Amino acid sequence: MEQLTSFFAWWALLAAIAGTMVWRFAGVFLASRIPPDSALMVWINNMAYAMVSGVVMLALVHPTGVLETTLLEHRIFGLAVGLAIVVFTKRLMFSLLFGVVSFAVAVTLF
Amino acid sequence: MSDLYYQSLSIDQTRWNATIDALRAPGPAIGLTMAGYSTIAREAGLNFWMSLATSLGIWGLPGQVVLVSLYAAGASLFIIFVAVSLANLRMLLMVISAADMMDLASHKLPLWKRIFWMHFLSITSWTNLGFAQQKYPSHLLLAYYQGFTLTIFFFGILGTILGYFLGDLLKPEILRIVIFITPIYILLNIINARDKANRLAVVLGSILCPMLFPLAGEWAILLAGLVGGAIASLYSRYNTRWHLG
Repeated sequence: MEQLTSFFAWWALLAAIAGTMVWRFAGVFLASRIPPDSALMVWINNMAYAMVSGVVMLALVHPTGVLETTLLEHRIFGLAVGLAIVVFTKRLMFSLLFGVVSFAVAVTLF
Repeated sequence: MSDLYYQSLSIDQTRWNATIDALRAPGPAIGLTMAGYSTIAREAGLNFWMSLATSLGIWGLPGQVVLVSLYAAGASLFIIFVAVSLANLRMLLMVISAADMMDLASHKLPLWKRIFWMHFLSITSWTNLGFAQQKYPSHLLLAYYQGFTLTIFFFGILGTILGYFLGDLLKPEILRIVIFITPIYILLNIINARDKANRLAVVLGSILCPMLFPLAGEWAILLAGLVGGAIASLYSRYNTRWHLG
């Protein structure tokens, strides 16, 4: 039984690796064929931004693992503080520090 | 620092600067995030080598988390393949966009080298490339990317290895704060994108995706990307036309 599960796990792993590598390969092949500054490149770029922010927000709104033990309100609060500071000051590390510290304070005290 | 400073950098200096940038917060944060991943992988029943192989072979946290949760739920191979592919579809767009930013074609790298370097592309290194693009001249961006992404990768793999065994070392109360760093770092970074349409895409994607998720599952990522990307592109088209009069 132990061996059977391990066998399936390796296949699952290979499927997951293949499901990721296929996109990286396709990206390398397509990259040289799409003209820079074209409307298509603008669209691809915007889609990349929308998808990346979507995936990351998903991890904040519907988290897995230890982040699940925190409240949604606290996570959004930390993000909001960081966003407000970065939009006004344009200083990444400074806003990151404040965002994370506000989250830590909210999680610990409330 | 002036534009002249960045213009005059050598390839090695650029790689070194990128390494320092990665060491400042993203590297250690990724290390701890991947340590967090490794503890989930262990709970789900993956052995140490499997956990390491997922980080080495996939190198994209959302897809890895999907793999582990579906594996734990006893999903079929086909479902795992489809769900991980959807969660990591952004790689396609990120690779094309990164190659464009770095003007990869001008470096005349053989195919295997292009594939090799793009294997290390992650959300963090892609967003940071957009940030570096605002300072560094385009011929140095490949060197910047190499220095940055390899440092991040090193920390990520180290975190995966240590996290599997030392997962219990950090108290969950501390670990959950540390794991919060990476998503916040990425969102703060991309909301600062130079292009207004890109920023609009970020706002749309981050609102749409979590809203669609309860209805559409992993497809929410694709939907949010398509809709958010399309609206942002229409905006930039309309906007350019407006300014051209």
